[in-house]
Amino acid sequence: MIGCYPTGIFPRSPGLVKITRKYARGAATEIELQRAFDIATREVVDAQLSAGPSYVTDGMLKWQDLLRPFTENLSGLKAGSLARWFNNNTFYRKPIVVGDLLREHSLIENVACTEHLPNDVPWKAILPAPFTFATLSDNRFYKSETELMFKYAQVLNDEIKSLAKLGFKYVQLSDPAIVYEPTVASTPKKQLKDVGEALGIATRGTSVKTCLQTFFGDFSQILPEALEFPVNDLGIDVYETGVAELKEYSFDKGLALGLVDSRNSLVEDKAELMEIAREVLKSISSSRTRDVFICPNCDLEFLPWQRAEEKMRLVGDVAGSLKEESYG
Amino acid sequence: MDKLFPTQEVGSLAKPAWRVKACRGERLSRKDISEAVEWGRKIGIESVDEVAHLLNEEDSAKKRKTVLEWSAKYGIRFFESAGLDVFFDGEQWRSEMYEHVIRNVAGFEFLGHVKSFDYRYFNKAACVDRPKYVRPFYVDEFVFTKQNARRNIKVPFTGPYTLVDWTFNEFYEKKLSGKIKALKRRKLEAKREFLFDLVNDVVRPEIAKLVASGAEWIQIDEPAATTNPADEEMELFVEAFNSTVKGFNCKFSLHNCYSNYDVLAEHVCELRNLSQMTLEFANRDTTQAGVGNVRTGYKDIELFENSGFRGDYGLGVVDVHTDFVEPPELVRDRILHVAKVIGDSRRILASTDCGLRTRTWETAFRKLRSMVRGAEMARNALR
Repeated sequence: MIGCYPTGIFPRSPGLVKITRKYARGAATEIELQRAFDIATREVVDAQLSAGPSYVTDGMLKWQDLLRPFTENLSGLKAGSLARWFNNNTFYRKPIVVGDLLREHSLIENVACTEHLPNDVPWKAILPAPFTFATLSDNRFYKSETELMFKYAQVLNDEIKSLAKLGFKYVQLSDPAIVYEPTVASTPKKQLKDVGEALGIATRGTSVKTCLQTFFGDFSQILPEALEFPVNDLGIDVYETGVAELKEYSFDKGLALGLVDSRNSLVEDKAELMEIAREVLKSISSSRTRDVFICPNCDLEFLPWQRAEEKMRLVGDVAGSLKEESYG
Repeated sequence: MDKLFPTQEVGSLAKPAWRVKACRGERLSRKDISEAVEWGRKIGIESVDEVAHLLNEEDSAKKRKTVLEWSAKYGIRFFESAGLDVFFDGEQWRSEMYEHVIRNVAGFEFLGHVKSFDYRYFNKAACVDRPKYVRPFYVDEFVFTKQNARRNIKVPFTGPYTLVDWTFNEFYEKKLSGKIKALKRRKLEAKREFLFDLVNDVVRPEIAKLVASGAEWIQIDEPAATTNPADEEMELFVEAFNSTVKGFNCKFSLHNCYSNYDVLAEHVCELRNLSQMTLEFANRDTTQAGVGNVRTGYKDIELFENSGFRGDYGLGVVDVHTDFVEPPELVRDRILHVAKVIGDSRRILASTDCGLRTRTWETAFRKLRSMVRGAEMARNALR
């Protein structure tokens, strides 16, 4: 099956940017802010629907960063100072681990906008993966980062189960840290076994499909271990990953192909993207790969809204054409 | 400068409401005007009544230009009154460090706002054609500042690596799309072409004009220097800096902040014609007085020393992201601690961590006064 979906936080529309800035200055009310989020969320959902997605998200417009709902709602954590989000001119608040992690209630419920999601397209949620969460946190409580990673994986498991109850069918675990070169360089390869175990804890007993989405780094660095990770699909950033490197391995998981560049406003040539997709699919053709999802390589929030909309259309367009070429 | 521990600021200062509103053509409130009058008296503006009269005038192009000049003069007197030895005009002529340059260079198109963090955004441009120098963008401001300042000045100059890193690279990626198939390599090569066209066609011509106009010290601001710590990116940064400053009879300093100093220190000795590293440290430090272990925020100074850097340090001793006014004793201890670590007091200039634009003038003034007093106390301690 060839489909498509988004892979992260969407940018805020000009109208929402204006209101959030006013709100930050104390010049807009909570009601005005909420109304603007509602309008913008509907726009984001519509933009996705026009691409004919396999799964739809709410755009995550309220998420200040990927970790923030956890940083603010998980007992044992407090928000630290701003830190750079990998190699981007964007920042996140570092979670500081000051106590045992305890999930007292749903972590993302107050930022999820499920009321705007359609009933006829399955819903997708996006959460930080265990390795990325542990790597980006300032651990002042657990003996090691690995212990933190396992503890967080348990929390994640509860959260995924609660999302399933809400109606979500697919959960992406975003894991940029696992392929980001400076982190990988200091991470022993054997630690990938722990990562696999943590993912096992996070996904155990859940009814949703899952994907480990990697970006900002070369996916081939975590091969072949990643092929054993207990998730349904694996996500690859083709702007960082040499396609030739994938040929040596046999995939029996689904593939989320980060084919559209969320970090440059240049709208790609469709023919070139088709060629890259064909090359990847051909290189793993002997594998028992199941689903293939065409998607942006990372969060579209690095782009202004209008370009993100165009790129989402392109994602759908490429997926549609590939499907026609009977890869699906 | 002969004295030990001269004091300097790093660039920006908040723009007063009267400057912002007047330059937008908006009507000023009585409060805005009285703020201009009060600060004018406080920092020794020569003709405060003239300013008040101007601010009451109807909007016109002439009024906007004169207001801009007055705001620069206010910036200059602000720093002089605080007692600084080296400064500029608080970058009052610039909208913002990135946007000001890009709007004055051909080949760019602003696409809209992208998130920096929380509800903060920046207006991001795309490079859609080869950048072309169309007019000076810092020279007039420099000449005005030089004419009006009574002490040493330096020109803050947004560095080419940062300009490129903060811009969508449409033109060069498109140009290379048929030539380089591997996407990662294409991106890097496109960045390289963009960067060196910008250095050669825009940045160097502007520096040449500044130097010809009498600029003796240019501070290259490169906050993005270590955004991407990969070797090939750091090589680009180093090469761009060296190409930028090459052959000019001018002093160059480099400002970097909230950054990865491990990576920067590794490459600092490859930077040519660099007399000073102006770095943020106070933000990383404790606020407890004393020298030695308590100065946790300054441990990275050793990275630069161990790498062999022997230029001056513009030592960030004042945090620009908090309203906490560092007591002079804390400033003194930060300076004395680093003086001891590097073993050469003559290589230290007391500095703010970064530009002060996020602080009110009241807070900024108190912080700067405290920095000046702290530097004086450090001098006395070594006397």
